[in-house]
Amino acid sequence: MVDHPAVEVDGLHVGYGSTPVLVGVTLTVPAGRGVCVTGENGIGKSTLLRCVSGLQQPDEGAIHVFGGDPGATPEFWRAVVTTVEPPTWYPGLTAREHAELVCRAHGQDPSSAGVDEALERFGLATHADAIPPSLSSGQKQRLVLAIALLRPSSLLILDEPEQRLDREGRADVAGLLADYVAGGGSLLMASHDDAFAEASGAAITTMESLSAVTP
Amino acid sequence: MTAVPLAPVRRWISRTQSSHRERGATLSSLYIGALSIAIIGGMFHRQVAEVFWPPAPDASALAAGSLVAVIYGLLYLALRRFGPLALSRPAASWLLPAPVSRRRLLLPSLRITGIVAAAIGATAALAIAGHAAPRAEAADEVALLVGGGALIGLALVLIATAAQAGGRWGEALDRVVGLVFAAGLAGLVASTTLDDAGSISSWPSVTTLGLVVGVAAVVVLAALAVVIRGLAATPSDRILEASRTAGTLFDTAFGIEPSFLTDMIERRYWARRHLRSTSLFPRLPVLVAQDVLLTLRRRSRLLWLLLGAALPVLLSSAPGWVLGAAVLVGCLVAGTTATGNVKTDAGNPVLLRLLGLSSRQAVLQRLWVPGVLAALWAALALTLLDVLGDLSSGPWWALGLVLGPMGAAAAVHRARVGFVRNELLPLDTPMGTLSTGPLVNAVMGPDMLLLGIPAWIAIGQGRLDWSTVLIQAVIAGAGARFYLVGTTGDDRTELSH
Repeated sequence: MVDHPAVEVDGLHVGYGSTPVLVGVTLTVPAGRGVCVTGENGIGKSTLLRCVSGLQQPDEGAIHVFGGDPGATPEFWRAVVTTVEPPTWYPGLTAREHAELVCRAHGQDPSSAGVDEALERFGLATHADAIPPSLSSGQKQRLVLAIALLRPSSLLILDEPEQRLDREGRADVAGLLADYVAGGGSLLMASHDDAFAEASGAAITTMESLSAVTP
Repeated sequence: MTAVPLAPVRRWISRTQSSHRERGATLSSLYIGALSIAIIGGMFHRQVAEVFWPPAPDASALAAGSLVAVIYGLLYLALRRFGPLALSRPAASWLLPAPVSRRRLLLPSLRITGIVAAAIGATAALAIAGHAAPRAEAADEVALLVGGGALIGLALVLIATAAQAGGRWGEALDRVVGLVFAAGLAGLVASTTLDDAGSISSWPSVTTLGLVVGVAAVVVLAALAVVIRGLAATPSDRILEASRTAGTLFDTAFGIEPSFLTDMIERRYWARRHLRSTSLFPRLPVLVAQDVLLTLRRRSRLLWLLLGAALPVLLSSAPGWVLGAAVLVGCLVAGTTATGNVKTDAGNPVLLRLLGLSSRQAVLQRLWVPGVLAALWAALALTLLDVLGDLSSGPWWALGLVLGPMGAAAAVHRARVGFVRNELLPLDTPMGTLSTGPLVNAVMGPDMLLLGIPAWIAIGQGRLDWSTVLIQAVIAGAGARFYLVGTTGDDRTELSH
């Protein structure tokens, strides 16, 4: 896995109907490094992340994640965590139990994985017993990030993780992402916040610079 | 603040809406509705008459009393679940926050609900009297009883309306009525097992009945006046919640998509619960532990399931194949108690991706708890039938236990069904066009009950030996195994078919 870049995108074309969104996009995220894609709304950042996550089929082009095809296999999802999709929640399970469930599914002991510490760090300790649908959108976003960072993974694909976070929360999350990259993890994210991206230890690149032709 | 007169606003809305409709559309709808009722009535009037007024009374006094508890209890619980006061979604959005009289805004809802509840109450009274009362010339008594039934229906609406506006006593009353309903079911079961459950030999005198109904009418009318006076005090959030329920109910009916309603009920149930985080049972596989936790958190549903194990006894005098089918369907219902998580994963596999589990691992683990519930329920139901003498002696408890895999496969299959596929081609039949989407959706889940054919035959015949148990065990186990292997994979996470 370490012999290959975390993400390799070459000549990616995606369109919605007759409207091209991604034209000849090329991107490489080296293993153990972070890349943040910036650009205005509607330029195709989320589409790019969805394609890299294997959640959307491109019209043309090649995508490799750790040398393999992105796909729906459990092996892929054991290595990759994405927040590109809006989360759903299990009925009758609290925020803490969701975190514990994910840890246990990956063979982690919830205590040693630091479930309580993660909830504390993300400002969710007082909401540990709440069911996620009752949380605010910012709290849900933080819970998703807390769970994403709790479970083992090799690549994080995050779509605007700074959204709905206050200034302090952004600094905390950026620090955690920087630690993740420093620990050998790879990071691909889209963001509107250059300062957040820099603090996350990610190299900033624009969508325009990735495209062969600016749509 | 001066209240704006509501009537001109409603007239304007009605006029504007009418101008967008096709000319005569309302009349056409009324005509089709009336014609449908006339046709269905003409086709089934004998069966309807049998339901409401059989040739000879066939229910004991205990059964009649139990039916009163069951029908009126259910009516009250339904009224509470759906409001009873509700507005249409547009009215809730635009008229509820407008400076109009809240009482006048809610009166039509109270009027319609009152009429419907009174009609149901009267019909129920007629049916109960028809099944339990002696056959004698008793026109006045029947009329008074039917009137009394209508008054009970109306009274239930008034109590439910007060509970909608009131405090926590409404929830306490719901629990009490739930107990009354459960007692009614227990009474019905008991009435079929007792040799002498009593019978009603004579009508009460017209004078007594007239007095009781007259006093009840005065009390209900006085309560109606009080409720109407206090209508404006109904909190907006309760009306909004009921309006959302009514809207979802219409969506369910028009879209023929029951999941809209069941999902809403599920969401509301959990939103009201105050949970405390607990550790998932570490010795169990993770998804089994999650299902166990979810099931234990729905203790009231488990209690209903336990009580429901006695319901097949009600069918002890029905043909054997009906009793057998009821037991198999009961297995499916018992299994669905623990399939909420499968439904979530089937609708959106985001969490399964986060868990990093294959669809095969997930479904294998998700089959366990529904299987145990279905097995225990069937074992209990069949043991009860055995003990009460409705089945000849045999290892019925063992047959129930081996039905577990079938119940699990049926329940999980049902939970994975997803939305109704309305794009499927409709079928033209002599009775009209038939939408196949809802039909296909409805049979997915119940179709797995075919794995219980040996048990169905055994229950139908009322005889059982160990070889049948063994055959059933093999068929149910192998069927569940084929279902797992055939509909899941080690190389994908998605649960949808």
